[in-house]
Amino acid sequence: MQDSRRAGLLALPYLLWLLAAFAAPLGAVALLSVQESSEMFAPLSLWPSAAQYEEILLDAFFQRLLLNTMLLGLAVAGVSALLAYPLALWLTRLSPRGKPFGFAIILVPLLTNVVVRSLGIILLLAPQGVVSNIAQALGFPPVNLLFGWFAVGVSLVQVFLPFMVLALYDVLEAQERRLEEAAAGLGAGPAMRFWRVTFPLSLPGLRGGLTLVFLMASTAYVSATLVGGRKVQVTGMVVLREGMEILNYPLASALAMLMLASSVLVTLVIARLIGLATPWLAARAPRRWPELPPAARRALVKVSEGLAPILYPVLLVAGIGILMFPLLLVAVASVNDSPQATVAQFVGFTWKWYGMVLENERYLSDAWTSLQLALACVAISLALALPAAFALVRGGFAGKEALGAFLMLPLALPGIAIGLGMLRLLQWFNQVPPFLGVLAVHVVLVTPFMLALLRASVAQLDRGLEEAAGGLGATPARVFRRVILPQLAPGIAVACVIGFLMSFGEVTVTAFLTTARLQTLPVRIYAEATFSLENTVNAISTIFILVTVALLVLVNRLMPLDRVWKR
Amino acid sequence: MTFAPTRRGLLAATALAAPAIWGRDAVAQIRRGDELTVGIWGGAQERITRQYCVEPLERQHGVKINYVLGGTTERRARAYAERGRPSFDLLYLNIFESRQAVRDGVTLAPSANVPNFENLYPLARIGGYGVAFNPVTIVYDRRAVAAPMTSWKDFWRDDLKGKVIWPTYPGAQGTAGLLMAAKVWGGSETNIDPAFRKIAELKPFAAIQGSQDQLYGMFDQRVGAASVEFGSFTRTYAETRNPNIVIAEPEEGQAVAANYACITTGTRNQALAEAFVNLHLSPECQKAYAEQTYYSPTIKNITLPPDLAAKLIMGEDAVAKLIDFDWDLVIRNQGRWSSRFTREIAG
Repeated sequence: MQDSRRAGLLALPYLLWLLAAFAAPLGAVALLSVQESSEMFAPLSLWPSAAQYEEILLDAFFQRLLLNTMLLGLAVAGVSALLAYPLALWLTRLSPRGKPFGFAIILVPLLTNVVVRSLGIILLLAPQGVVSNIAQALGFPPVNLLFGWFAVGVSLVQVFLPFMVLALYDVLEAQERRLEEAAAGLGAGPAMRFWRVTFPLSLPGLRGGLTLVFLMASTAYVSATLVGGRKVQVTGMVVLREGMEILNYPLASALAMLMLASSVLVTLVIARLIGLATPWLAARAPRRWPELPPAARRALVKVSEGLAPILYPVLLVAGIGILMFPLLLVAVASVNDSPQATVAQFVGFTWKWYGMVLENERYLSDAWTSLQLALACVAISLALALPAAFALVRGGFAGKEALGAFLMLPLALPGIAIGLGMLRLLQWFNQVPPFLGVLAVHVVLVTPFMLALLRASVAQLDRGLEEAAGGLGATPARVFRRVILPQLAPGIAVACVIGFLMSFGEVTVTAFLTTARLQTLPVRIYAEATFSLENTVNAISTIFILVTVALLVLVNRLMPLDRVWKR
Repeated sequence: MTFAPTRRGLLAATALAAPAIWGRDAVAQIRRGDELTVGIWGGAQERITRQYCVEPLERQHGVKINYVLGGTTERRARAYAERGRPSFDLLYLNIFESRQAVRDGVTLAPSANVPNFENLYPLARIGGYGVAFNPVTIVYDRRAVAAPMTSWKDFWRDDLKGKVIWPTYPGAQGTAGLLMAAKVWGGSETNIDPAFRKIAELKPFAAIQGSQDQLYGMFDQRVGAASVEFGSFTRTYAETRNPNIVIAEPEEGQAVAANYACITTGTRNQALAEAFVNLHLSPECQKAYAEQTYYSPTIKNITLPPDLAAKLIMGEDAVAKLIDFDWDLVIRNQGRWSSRFTREIAG
């Protein structure tokens, strides 16, 4: 791991996996996008045509669509970062016993069904909803915040905030507390300590978080469909409509490819900006920015120090509120005696939805399939992502940033487009045993997440400790086991939890791949929701949340979520 | 892998040639141990068909019936991708997808091999076996309108200005809304302009809805007054959660929507698939659907308790009043209309 050129080789396993399992659907989408004919059964032509791209790029509607989607992604990433800092700091300060519960709060949105969550947003923002009622009580006119960009933004922040928090958690947790103490000793208030010490040191984590949230928010379409009221059009939605409903694969593919290209561009810009803001990581001299006159600076510091004690709790409460809100909804709805799932009206109390879930062996056997799939997926993804993270952090080869962007590609291509590519490959895919086939695809979808999180954790490692161990005669394997691994443990735990939940909950692509022999629980829930949403969905979510809390308590015992020696 | 194309070619050729060479016999027998793969929705649909179709067949013939649960979109996309060498033997589609699927050679036209085919209404004999009528109509909140809605033209009344929740296009509800607007304002499938012009006049919408669950959430929150929706689910909603919601019976009629059981082209289990469909068309199964989901039966040989029948489309006259469209034309124009809808109505 000392040789920075050779370190690049560590990315090889992941790269090969991508080539084996992702290059094929991506290639299919790319090929479809250069077809001239939009006919469903037209034979594939190998002669590329720019017809689809022309149609999109010359059309003001599509231009606006792509631009709006990008802006939405950036806005969601920005707001998530703002809300995530207080949450992540709060999480690092929790007692070891309290940690699993803190994590559970962060993870609630990932454990609830997207439709239910969206119904919750409707409840929150509708003209008769919670926010409007509060506004009226304060003497404002009633507001309808629903069915627009704002509502979509709120619901996306809700789902993706956990990723941002977890991306920041590990880098904040690893931070040297003495730096902050030193800053305090030199007279810096909380605001200045955050701005000059904590924040800059957390930038590698922020980079991972921003990348993840931006990519997910710009390819998401379900929330936009449910709470955007169709006034909001995003690219993923149009890819779905053109590809799956109208069966115009070439146009949908071209749109997905354009989406991919612009997302990669934005990712590279984010990486570059964070790189500029962290010159010490590359051992470069910091840039000198023009500074304010001392009087203005003093005033600014005073104002920030005054605001910080108010802003921190407000943001923290807002963050916890937005994360916990769905929990309240699903818990209440799961005992609601109404044949259609609702969150607005309580008809009567019943345990029957739990009965229907727990007595039905199909739910249990599908849950078992999902569990096996998710566990296998996390194990493989970790084995691929961890070495790749070392390669990206410690490698000193040309094109490192490009490789980093390439490894994130599966996230930049809308899930629905991956499904579309897989459809073209179904005849080959069907030859692979179903479990292995779905597993291969899940690994492709999950590894980028784990890589983004682990990359920041690896960047935090104290090289001095490794060198000291090496100097004392430890073999590289021993250094890895006794020095590197313990430092990485919280990062690995967090990445595994996220990876597990991503795989366990995946629907978009899996829905195209399930067969009579392989049915996952989320696909079953989705299939039920497409007919009529019943409260069994909420019973399952509540059970998920309880099981997750139990698992987190267990994980915390086996593999502490913080650095034990720092306590 | 190297010989795979040959094997696939051989299979496809066999599948195509089989009916020609052996007539019905090659696929007409149900053998013990056969496995049938059925693509269907979840929830009540799965529960009812398992009870009335799967259990008797598995018991009687010693076969195994596997379900692939999912939405129509994925199911159809897969069936198209696997045309000629299907992994589904039987799949359920909506009215406009099913007729197109037959024309595209993805699924088979219905035939009298299924004994209950005899009892089907003519409308349920095109594009597969119609298993349920589930028409789309006007639904509204009686508190929010000045007078009951009795015509599709009532959406354009003054008291509904700004209160209409229009359904998105494409989709069963949006398609019905668009085509009915065309019909009542002097247009048709071939002349859709009046529909787009008149629907644009309804702006601003209270909202645009993309699914029944979303609409009911909107009704719960009193976001708007009226929309276009399936009568069946809305009746369940009105009876259990919101008694103020009315399922209208417009004078021009309700727009047809229906579910079809479609046997795939190239299936090796045609006889078993037909036996499955036959059970789905049995009066017992149709009755269970009517009771649990308010789906209207597609067979003539069924009698239901009067209070239930009153809530459904029952009898020749009622079925004849359902408004059908030229789905060929509708499907062919879907892309164009969808992009027009996005730009002129939703945008």
